[in-house]
Amino acid sequence: MVSSFRHLTTPLRWTAVIGLLFFALTASSCNSPDHMQGIVRIGLPEEPRTMNIFLASDATTRNVLRQIYQPLYEDHPQTLEIVPWLAAGLPVYDAGKKTYTITLRPARWSDGRELTSADVSFTAWLIQEFELPGLSSRWKQVERIETPDATTVVFYLKRPIATFLSRTLEAPIVPKHQWATIAEAALKTEKPLATLLNHEVENPVGSGPFVLKKWSHGDYLYFDQNPYYFASGQTIGDRKIGPYINGMLFKIYGTTDVAMLALRRGGIDMFWQGIQPGYIDILEKTPGIEVFLSPKSALYYMGMNTRRPPFDDTQLRRAVALLIDKDFIVDRLLQGRGTKMFSIIPPGNEQWYNPDLPRYADGETRASRIKAAYELLLAAGYSWEIPPVDAKGNIVPGEGLRLPDGNPMAPFTILTPPADYDPARAISGTMIQEWLRAVGMPASARPMEFSSLINQIKNRHKFDAFILGYGRLSLDPAYLGSFFSSSNDKPRGWNMSGYRNEAFDQLAKSADTEIDSAARRQIIFEMQKMIIDDVPYIPLYVPSLIEAVRTDRFQGWVPMLDGIGNRWSFNEIKPNSASPGVQIVKFRL
Amino acid sequence: MTLNRYIFRRLIEIGISFFIILTALFLLFHLAPGDPVARMVDPGMTAEDELRLIAQLGLDQPLWHRYLKFVSNFFSGNFGISFHYGQPVSQIIANRLPNTILLFTTAVILSALAGVWLGKIVAWLKGRPMDTAVTIGALVCHTLFLPWIALLIIWLLGYQWGWFPITGMISPEVWIAPGTSMLAKAIDVLHHMVLPMLTLFLIHFGSYLLIMRSSMLDTLAEDYIYTARAKGLPERMIRDRHAAPNAALPVVTSVGLSLAFSINGGALTEKVFSWPGIGRELVFAVSNNDYPLALGCFLLIAAVVLLANLVVDVLYAFLDPRIRY
Repeated sequence: MVSSFRHLTTPLRWTAVIGLLFFALTASSCNSPDHMQGIVRIGLPEEPRTMNIFLASDATTRNVLRQIYQPLYEDHPQTLEIVPWLAAGLPVYDAGKKTYTITLRPARWSDGRELTSADVSFTAWLIQEFELPGLSSRWKQVERIETPDATTVVFYLKRPIATFLSRTLEAPIVPKHQWATIAEAALKTEKPLATLLNHEVENPVGSGPFVLKKWSHGDYLYFDQNPYYFASGQTIGDRKIGPYINGMLFKIYGTTDVAMLALRRGGIDMFWQGIQPGYIDILEKTPGIEVFLSPKSALYYMGMNTRRPPFDDTQLRRAVALLIDKDFIVDRLLQGRGTKMFSIIPPGNEQWYNPDLPRYADGETRASRIKAAYELLLAAGYSWEIPPVDAKGNIVPGEGLRLPDGNPMAPFTILTPPADYDPARAISGTMIQEWLRAVGMPASARPMEFSSLINQIKNRHKFDAFILGYGRLSLDPAYLGSFFSSSNDKPRGWNMSGYRNEAFDQLAKSADTEIDSAARRQIIFEMQKMIIDDVPYIPLYVPSLIEAVRTDRFQGWVPMLDGIGNRWSFNEIKPNSASPGVQIVKFRL
Repeated sequence: MTLNRYIFRRLIEIGISFFIILTALFLLFHLAPGDPVARMVDPGMTAEDELRLIAQLGLDQPLWHRYLKFVSNFFSGNFGISFHYGQPVSQIIANRLPNTILLFTTAVILSALAGVWLGKIVAWLKGRPMDTAVTIGALVCHTLFLPWIALLIIWLLGYQWGWFPITGMISPEVWIAPGTSMLAKAIDVLHHMVLPMLTLFLIHFGSYLLIMRSSMLDTLAEDYIYTARAKGLPERMIRDRHAAPNAALPVVTSVGLSLAFSINGGALTEKVFSWPGIGRELVFAVSNNDYPLALGCFLLIAAVVLLANLVVDVLYAFLDPRIRY
């Protein structure tokens, strides 16, 4: 053997050496060593951007940091009602003084120091002082905070606000002893907010079930159990809290295709991102994997610019709503993994969803839709060179649509995100274009790069119509007011369609201050009806959240609105006693 | 002109070119129609929140003001703060660059060595079945669609046969194990390098082989090769000592530039293999309008490519005694 190697030419020797190395490095799967027992391995679509909770604006970073930073209150996974988390009970409201009093559970930070009312008060100060984007608006109505003792916090409000519990008190609490010096230093700089947001937190101190042990940038994050976790062994919201796992290992996957291969092969136990319906069949056939389909608190919709023709006409917007075939979108484009939407609030949010709203020819045939839209537009004064319904009542391609003033309808554009960003929205745009053209509307769908699209719609208001979505809406419907109040019809405001209705504005104000839940529910129902009647937005669909996990490794995942990747799951999952062990591809050199 | 004067003149040219590139890139990013805070906002943010964020990022300043600040910061070593990560761009690049260099320089060098070696052999055997087969194979490799071949390799060698890790640069399970030795960690990295390196090898190898073969065929028609044959030198010596070194010159240029461009990390390769390098960050920065990070990455690539051109030109003088500056 050695002598035959000597007879080889130098390049061939090198080839042989490389070849031998290649085969020496080939590996076989083997079961895990002990240190991986009880550690759940989670694939992430991208690396978390930071451990600074105030810079976390993307879903991945927030998901990861939710294991470290805890709020005072949390949503129950089944009832979606607010349950005390760091707080010991529901707040006591004093209507006369406009105060909420909260008592904290006995809790410690992950460095062993006591979590007190001073930390809550400090967090509120930090949010207000730095006017932290996304948080400060929720705390605007808090006038001052008193901390009579270490476990009691009294919030004095300027006026009653309905979202105080669901929005304000669900903010994460940070430790004063870590953040006070950071805040002080930031305040001395030219740009305090930027300094605070860009502060690199290498060792985040939290009160959650896990604590960061190691972050190898670009490769992985390793979370260990927090030995001081306040909820461990307690019953909260009728659920026994763990955690029953020893840690979390986050791995980063550049593409979903590869992440799915890793999941099927046992390289990860969960991929923390919704997956496309096309993967479901193959995942369901893989032993040990369970696929979860959960409703999402999301909204995918078509918006129209009510500030200018042609969509300043409510009748035309209603005609568009009649022409859109939501069944087609859900059955064909989403492959049945979604739900048609008839309100701005998703149907999964049962507490606030109004089921009795106009459905605009839902379930009817294409011909019926065209006839209904034709009749509506005809009655509103629109005319055609060739009407889409002929004298005998047959459907024909409509042409030359004219506005009530007799002028031809100018061509208009439906802006959508590009297909590589979201194929469902891009193709929905093309389909809607065709449905509108059938009645002679000169519509064109145009995909546009996402940030340019937002710039055009939200900042410049230069558009006719668009298709967008909110992938994660809060459970509280306060966003209804944001999306449609006249005061938000301004550059960078959320009222992108430019909808203006004084009656709606009044309702939005009432909804904002109504403390009584039942009364507020009626107001929210009325607001939904108003929007669906006037259709500045046409709700299209809400896709199901598809998630897959290896239940042969961990069991006890908690399904809820927005999926199984929730706080409850990681407090409740337990290693499967029949687990095959972690599969690690190891070299056998 | 002496070599030193030539290098000095080229360095001045490189400085001017770099400044033009810097200005062009800055304008391209800042005049692009996208909104840099578009992906940072959610319905919980008010318009005032957005404006505050824009002011904090310095994007509310006039363009010329931002440009002057960028240039002065850049030449004082401050490449800015990434909008997304909130970290200095230099820190992010320093963290990712070694990973890219490790993978891509290894792949380029190995594929160049293999391409040159096989290219000279098949050129020598021109017209024979081996030449035909290898040339067709090289053409196929040269035209492979990278994401497709990468996924195929992952599926076959990583998923089906389980010989290699599917993606990443390391196995966290190995690295977090108590008492893992440095050797074990080094081998783990090597193990993860195999699949992306094989992909890159296949992609690059074909072009080097074809360049070498073509150049070798031209060289073999030179008079000095006939002279060598007439002197009765052994065929192998003529091929390896007389023809190959001269024929390899175009490959040197190609390798030099490939090495320089490898800094961008072949974004697709890094994305598919989840390799934590510059390419992956570059794609991410561009698609998320993270101007400081994208500018930092592009300017690094520009600097390396400009310098690599100079190095290749100077290298020519050493490799080919006929070239004088």
